[in-house]
Amino acid sequence: MSVDIRIAGARESTKQLDSEEISSLVTPGDVITTDTGFMRGHGTYMEDDQLKASVAGVVERVNKLICVKPLKTRYNGEVGDVVIGRILEVGQRRWKVDTHSKLDSVLMLSSVNLPGGELILLELLLLLDNVTQAEVQSVFADGSLSLHTRSLKYGKLGQGVVVHLSPSLIKRRKTHFHSLPCGASIILGNNGYIWICPTGNEMEDKTGGYEQNLEPVQRADREVISRLRNCVLALAEHKMMLYDTSVLYTYEASLKFPNI
Amino acid sequence: MYFVCFFLKDNCREDGRGCEDYRHMEIETNVVSNTSGSARVRLANTDILVGVKAELGAPAPEKPDKGRLEFFVDCSANATPEFEGRGGEELATEISGMLNRAYDCPACLDLQKLCVIPNQQCWVLYIDILLLECGGNLFDAASIAVKAALYNTKIPTVTVSRDEGIMELEISDDPYDVQKIEVKLAPCIVTLSKIGHSHVVDASQKEESCCLARLMMGVTQNGTITALKKEGSGSLDPTSVEDMIEVGTGKRVGEALNKSLTTALEEEERQGTKSKTLGFLR
Amino acid sequence: MAGLELLSDQGFRIDGRRVHELRKIQCRLGVFSQADGSAYIEQGNTKVLAAIRGSKQKTLHDKVLVNCQYSMATFSTGERKRRPRGDRKSQEMTMHLRQTFDAAILTNLYPRSQIDIFVEVLQSDGGNYCASVNAATLALIDAGIPLKDYVCACSASFVNDSPIVDINYLEESSGKPEIIVATLPKSEQIVFLEMNSRLHEDNLSKVVDTAVKGCKDVYQILDTAVRDHVSQVATVHGWEN
Repeated sequence: MSVDIRIAGARESTKQLDSEEISSLVTPGDVITTDTGFMRGHGTYMEDDQLKASVAGVVERVNKLICVKPLKTRYNGEVGDVVIGRILEVGQRRWKVDTHSKLDSVLMLSSVNLPGGELILLELLLLLDNVTQAEVQSVFADGSLSLHTRSLKYGKLGQGVVVHLSPSLIKRRKTHFHSLPCGASIILGNNGYIWICPTGNEMEDKTGGYEQNLEPVQRADREVISRLRNCVLALAEHKMMLYDTSVLYTYEASLKFPNI
Repeated sequence: MYFVCFFLKDNCREDGRGCEDYRHMEIETNVVSNTSGSARVRLANTDILVGVKAELGAPAPEKPDKGRLEFFVDCSANATPEFEGRGGEELATEISGMLNRAYDCPACLDLQKLCVIPNQQCWVLYIDILLLECGGNLFDAASIAVKAALYNTKIPTVTVSRDEGIMELEISDDPYDVQKIEVKLAPCIVTLSKIGHSHVVDASQKEESCCLARLMMGVTQNGTITALKKEGSGSLDPTSVEDMIEVGTGKRVGEALNKSLTTALEEEERQGTKSKTLGFLR
Repeated sequence: MAGLELLSDQGFRIDGRRVHELRKIQCRLGVFSQADGSAYIEQGNTKVLAAIRGSKQKTLHDKVLVNCQYSMATFSTGERKRRPRGDRKSQEMTMHLRQTFDAAILTNLYPRSQIDIFVEVLQSDGGNYCASVNAATLALIDAGIPLKDYVCACSASFVNDSPIVDINYLEESSGKPEIIVATLPKSEQIVFLEMNSRLHEDNLSKVVDTAVKGCKDVYQILDTAVRDHVSQVATVHGWEN
């Protein structure tokens, strides 16, 4: 049992890093260019023939497209992204999913992989507050996302821990599902939600994952998961990008300290 | 939710703590200069700011020779959008009610010292609590912040002179001519939440959402319990209630909490003017 | 006012500043982790916290609804306040803040949703509106919400034939005229203008100019702070040029 109270002034400031001069840094209202040949992307707006920035961040130029990437923002979905979401509402033929974006995402019944191909009542498949892994199928005009779980990889997630982070900490890569050698698996959703679970469960679930595995999880596995969770949160606190390698290194470094 | 329950059977919670472990806490006093005393407490995501203002006023009619404490809780909309407008009033009333009850015990604070002229004037301490961010376990953090703010409170000395039958009060302007309040025996609230079959101390937001019932108790440094309240829609077994209070958890944790808090506050005072008050600039 | 002179003969104000000097401004972005964006600003002795949340209520079809709430902590003023919000002054402030930010946020990028701006005054020593606007601007930038430009606010007054900038509580309550201005500094457009008390029209343009210049100075300070914050975080992220 421990109660740990510290004085706020005792914490060292983490601001001693010398930041490099980043030349493409812009703040709202800065003029990026007056050349009209460019197309404008996220984070910019046109005014009087000038392309101006509307958020504070770094300018990215891809051929003719200019956009400004802000530090922290709600998740902006793109087709093909893997996301993890929590069910908010069960509707007529669809589920409403919370993916930490500007508007709620939608998972249509027609986009769901049903076990055995039968039509079952929506309520039995996914209940309120269940967590699912899905892929972005399309983006509506107002920015809300349509999800699908048409592949065997996706579906309801059983026992594990969700960690909420900012989406900007996760880079887009080919695989989002990583099986770590310490006995747990980690899924990095593009929307900033991370799922950590014991590896054993995932191996058995090849059916599209709608049954819930309620076996009690081993204590050792649980400690691994808690430790991973704390590592992920620590990386997020210091605003470092999350990859499977960065999480793994942090985990190994933390093993030196027996108390998490 | 199942995951969390199974965890607890083995004394291991989601973030690796034991059932009786508190999350990391930070306190800082003297944050707001317009007040007689102030403190800020950060318990993981929970952020609470307390300001104490001392004013002269009439004492309570049934306790004419003692000072008064008035608690006021304000849930800022910064914490959750549901607190906008009058949304947070229910929670605010609960917290202030619990604090009132906890501090009602005569052994906690020496309110007699706050009396200026019996039956006519006494010091009234207005304790204002501002909830800035909710990360679970609000009651405990609020009580810790209140105790820290009272520790930091400086009340100017008053000289009473009698002039032809009329009492005259003179409040000293000297910033160093002050008296402090003895808060050694002030209580801290310990909340025990029942999740599944075990109970935990300092529930995080996730744990709070799956807990059935909570037991809140005000505990002082030497283990005296000043207030007790059960909350929540679940029911508690009488033996488990006894368990929580007597055998162990409540009292032990309460004592440990009070001790750590006093140590930290004394340490901060020792550092004196050397430490800069950073407030939110950290 | 007996005793205290707002402006001494040598050109010093009550707190030792000169007529064109702003109070010391210190700020920090990203104070809270749960809100979408948050900021804290200290202008002299006035301390203000702002938090932004985006919520998903279907209200207006084509643009976002900006919702503000201004509240003061009960211990923020010298005399204890009874209620933190709901009184007429707070409601007026809320309305002003909403108008100001409606003009600055690019509202058509967020249809069918709502942006909540919550401002909490922790310590009040004059210039509440200005500090609130500056804090909310920083919080909006922290949340990544697209803005046309920064919104900077500053107050000014007129004492002994000279305009003074960024007035504190004592100067506010002395009965001299008070002008509060909020501008978009790059385009030099005024989004909010309010004047109290009486001022001769010959002096009006002088005082407004002083306030606008004050806003520009505030903008410099805020911009530096934002750039520092962005460059630090970007370095840690590992973003290259």
